[in-house]
Parts: sequence; structure tokens; C-alpha cells
Amino acid sequence: MDERVFISTPDHVTLEFELAGPGSRFSAYVIDFIFNVVLIVIIVLALYAGGAVVSLKSLLGAARSQSWSASWILALMVLVVFLINWGYYVLFEGLGKGSTPGKKRVGIRVIRQDGLPIGLREAALRNLVRAADMLPPPSYILGGLVMHFDPHGRRLGDMLAGTYVIVEKFALTAQGASGAAWASRVEQGRSREALTLPRGAISPQQIGLIERFLGRRHELSKERRAQLAWQIAEPLLPLLGEDRDGVARRVDRGERCEWLLMQIIELAQNKAPAISVAEKTPPAALF
Amino acid sequence: MQAAEEKLLQWTRFYQRAQTILNAGPRGLRRLNGAEITRLIDDYQALTADLARARSLGAARETVDQLNRIAVAGHNLLYGQIRLRESTAAARGFANFAGTVRRHAWAVALSAVMFFGSAVVSFVAVQLHPSLAYDLLADEFLDFDPASPDNLHSIPSLARPVVSSLIISNNIQVTLLAFGFGLTAGVGTTVLLIFNGIHLGSVAGWMSLHGKDRALWGWIMPHGATELLAICLAGAAGYMLASAIIVPGRLRRATALKRVGGQALTIELGCMVMLVIAGLIEGFVSPSDLDYASRIGVLLASVALWALYFFGAGRHRGEHPDEPPSH
Repeated sequence: MDERVFISTPDHVTLEFELAGPGSRFSAYVIDFIFNVVLIVIIVLALYAGGAVVSLKSLLGAARSQSWSASWILALMVLVVFLINWGYYVLFEGLGKGSTPGKKRVGIRVIRQDGLPIGLREAALRNLVRAADMLPPPSYILGGLVMHFDPHGRRLGDMLAGTYVIVEKFALTAQGASGAAWASRVEQGRSREALTLPRGAISPQQIGLIERFLGRRHELSKERRAQLAWQIAEPLLPLLGEDRDGVARRVDRGERCEWLLMQIIELAQNKAPAISVAEKTPPAALF
Repeated sequence: MQAAEEKLLQWTRFYQRAQTILNAGPRGLRRLNGAEITRLIDDYQALTADLARARSLGAARETVDQLNRIAVAGHNLLYGQIRLRESTAAARGFANFAGTVRRHAWAVALSAVMFFGSAVVSFVAVQLHPSLAYDLLADEFLDFDPASPDNLHSIPSLARPVVSSLIISNNIQVTLLAFGFGLTAGVGTTVLLIFNGIHLGSVAGWMSLHGKDRALWGWIMPHGATELLAICLAGAAGYMLASAIIVPGRLRRATALKRVGGQALTIELGCMVMLVIAGLIEGFVSPSDLDYASRIGVLLASVALWALYFFGAGRHRGEHPDEPPSH
């Protein structure tokens, strides 16, 4: 199972979603299961209390209809329990934009394959066939196997409904400020930061190595690519004025290193002494 | 840095605005005037441009994530209308059900063969070897006498609402399983249909051996047509899913499933409605003291109504020879 899924919209924007793993989906399931049971108990007790009131009234001689009402209340109870059993997920996911109380707590959500929140139709499809994913009941072995082998981590119900379960994480935090600063600089026609390099600091052999790496990086596996980028860039970091430990700790270490290597090649090609790319404009195609 | 604050404000404002409109429900977007919509789209495009730049120029992971999340909100807002249109198309409902069943007649036929075939086989088998019934049936059915006053044939009127709701939920559960087990390439659906068929056939065989068949048929007839037809249709819905798994054609299996899913769901939902009707008849009409002739009348009337419905409903709209788009 991949970690992410990319959805391309009609206006060629690529939206990126982090797929929810089996662990978080299972914890959401456990919470929902408990919630489901509690809901049934509350409703049955409420109906039971209602039935008690009805029979009390008829005891007081109000009507002969006592047993009739009790019978109807019992019938209602049967139907309500059945409805909650099968309808819990359909209603919560269908009306709650793909979220159930359990999913909300864990921070995951169901979306359609085109990135829109799901509606009742998708919710009904993916949840009414739960019995098949649960085989042999109640183990979820079949669904779990399918999830394991599907690149998007879908169980059978997800394939039928055309849905993904994704991680919902978002807060407009302090991080927003630095990101916005970056974006506004880029928009004004300057790339992220000034990169300077003393002349002759990097040997032609090293340049050759970097060029070969950049040339075939797309053929490498993700792990290997990130690892190589780090190995090549690490000795050069002090020259670039980068903090080695800071870069080492980054989540996007590989990407960051690749970016630095690309800047070095650009600098080398420009052949200017102690160049700064501070005034370099991003490629026009991006605008 | 003035520009940066402006940028952040612009992102935040767009996100909050998108959330407000999304939370206002499906009609949130309709309340905006032309200028507001234009502005919203402009903001969305500015944001997606920022996102594209952030990705290709290697901004920090957090910045990309954040922009991505805002873009998702914008996308859901601006493209959410697609779903509104889809749901009105799905709500054609009533005629849609009959049409979908007609389009997948092969699945209905297969399901009927499995269900009634096993019923007929077990009926004949019990006639030929009555001792088989002891293996196939539970004790309560062996001793079952439809004519005796303390049996289903004469449910006390007080218990009828409860019995009716029990029957409805039990039958719907069976159809939901027949539908869902289609995802086991039809194996589960077949097992379910054959088991239920054998049960039906051997009960009928046993009763007719012991001369109780008139009472049994009298009891089954009023609701039988509706109930058995609904179970066949649910099996058909299961086989539709199975066909997407077994013979997906040139599509990937997941894509084939997604295509057929909506239509199978339409059939399954139709079955549920049919079973509510059947359950009400089974709880209230079948156990009543209606005479045998009227029971035959109810049977014929229900067969005629369903035939009229499934062969006629939605024809004037023009049949869709191909699968309707379902994405």
C-alpha cells in the first residue's frame, strides 16, 4: 500500500492525500463499534421506558389498547435495532461527509476517487457490503488481505463505491507564516533563497557525479533516491552555508538535498564567480 | 514583510470562506452573486498556482501540505456541484429499478436458477427419499403443522406487528448478504441462494408428503411471489458484482466494480422496499382467516402487478442500451 494518493482535477491541479493505514482504520472501527452498541442500548431503553409508560396508563384504566401498543413498540424496537446495525455507517458517513464519530476521533475520512466528499450513495455501497470484507466473520481477513495488496489500501467495499480512506490533518499554524513568506518571495520573481558558492569549491568530478545522479534519479526507487541525494549533498552542505544537522533531521531531506544539488549545477553552468541566485526568476511555464 | 502577511491572510481568508460556504450545505454556492463567485474562482486559481510553485520549486513539506489542504477545500467547493447533479440522476428511483433489472436479466435468470432449481431438486428428493428431510430440516419444521392454531398460519393478531418486523428485518438481512457476498466472486451468493432454496424445497416436500401442502401453500401464497422475487433480485445484484470480478473485460477489477456498483445498489434498495411490502403481507394477511380462493387471488394480483412493473415501468423514457455513466 502506498502512503499517498494523487488526484488530478479537471483544471490540472494535483491534490495530494495521505492514505489511512489499517491501524488507524481499525481503531476508528473499535470506537464506532462501542458507539454503535451504546446507541442501541440507549434507544432500546428509551423505547422500553415508553412502553412502561403506556402500560402504566392502561393499568390506570385509560384503554384496553395496552397490549397493542406494547406490541407495536416491540416491533419498533426490532426495526430500530436492525436499522442502527446496518445503517450506522451509511447514515454517519453519508450525511457527515465521510466521517463517523470513530473516524472523526482518529482523524480519518472517506473521500471519492475524484477528491470530493462522499454522499449517501457511496456510503451505502461501501457499508452494505461490509459482510463480504468481514469474511470469515467477524475477522475482516478478506478485507484486510485486499487492503494489503491494493496500492490505495482499499477494502472491497471501497473498490465498489470508488472511495479512499484518507488522513485528515490540518491546522493553519505558525508554519503558515514562513510558507507564506516563501510564496510571496517566489511570486515577486525570486526563488526561495540566495545560494552562494565560492569559486572552485566544488571539483569537476563532483559536478559530474551530481549531474549523473540528477540525470537518472527518476529511475531510482524512492528510498535509494533520497539516500543518494543525501550522500552526495552531505559533504557540500557547509560550503553552501547549510546547517548539516538541520538538514539531516528534515522529513523532506531527500527533496531538499536534490534541490540544493540542482542549484549547484545551475551555478556551475552559469560560471559566474560567487554567484547568487537571488534574482533568478522561476520558469515562466509555472505562471 | 508586508507581502508575506498579505499572502498568509489571502490563504487563510480563502480557506475560511470555502469552509463557511461548504458548511452552509449544498446550496451555499447558489447564494453568492456573480462578482463573489468570480472572486472565489480567482482566489482558488491564485492558490493552486501557489501550490504548483511550492511543489516544483521545492518548498518545505509543511507549506505544500498546507496549500494542498486549502486547495482541497476549494476544489470540494467548486466541483461539489457535480455531485448534486449525480444525486438527482440517481433519484429517478422507481422506474430506474425496473429498467436496471431488465438490463441485467441474465443475472436475475442465473439467480432464479440457483434458488428455484435447488428448491425443486430438494422438493423432489424429499418426495423420493423422505428420510432426507431429517437431515435437511430442523425439528420445528418436522413437527410443523400449518393448520394447527398455535403455528404461524394463525399468528395471534397481537403478535403480528412484532412478527412482521422480525420477518422484514430477517429477510432484508438475507438480501444484504446475498448482495454483499457477490464480492466473493459470487461464491457466497450462490451458497446463500442454494441453502435458502433447499430449505424452501424440503419444507414444501415434507409438508406435501404429509398432506399439509394445502395449508402451507395457503400460507405462502399471499406474500410468496413478492418475497421470493425479491430474494432472486438480491441474488442478481450479487451476481452483478461477481461478474465485475470474474469477467472485468478490459477494465481493472476495481474499476469494473465501481461501474456496476451503482446499478447493483439500485436493485438491492428496490429489494428492500419489496421485502417491506412482503413482510407486511406475511405478518398481517397470510396469518388471517382469509379463504383459500382469496389467497390465490392475492397471489395472482401480486404476480400481475410485479410483471406489469418490471416489464413496463420506465419504457417510455427509452431504454438505455448501454451502462449509464457512473463516475
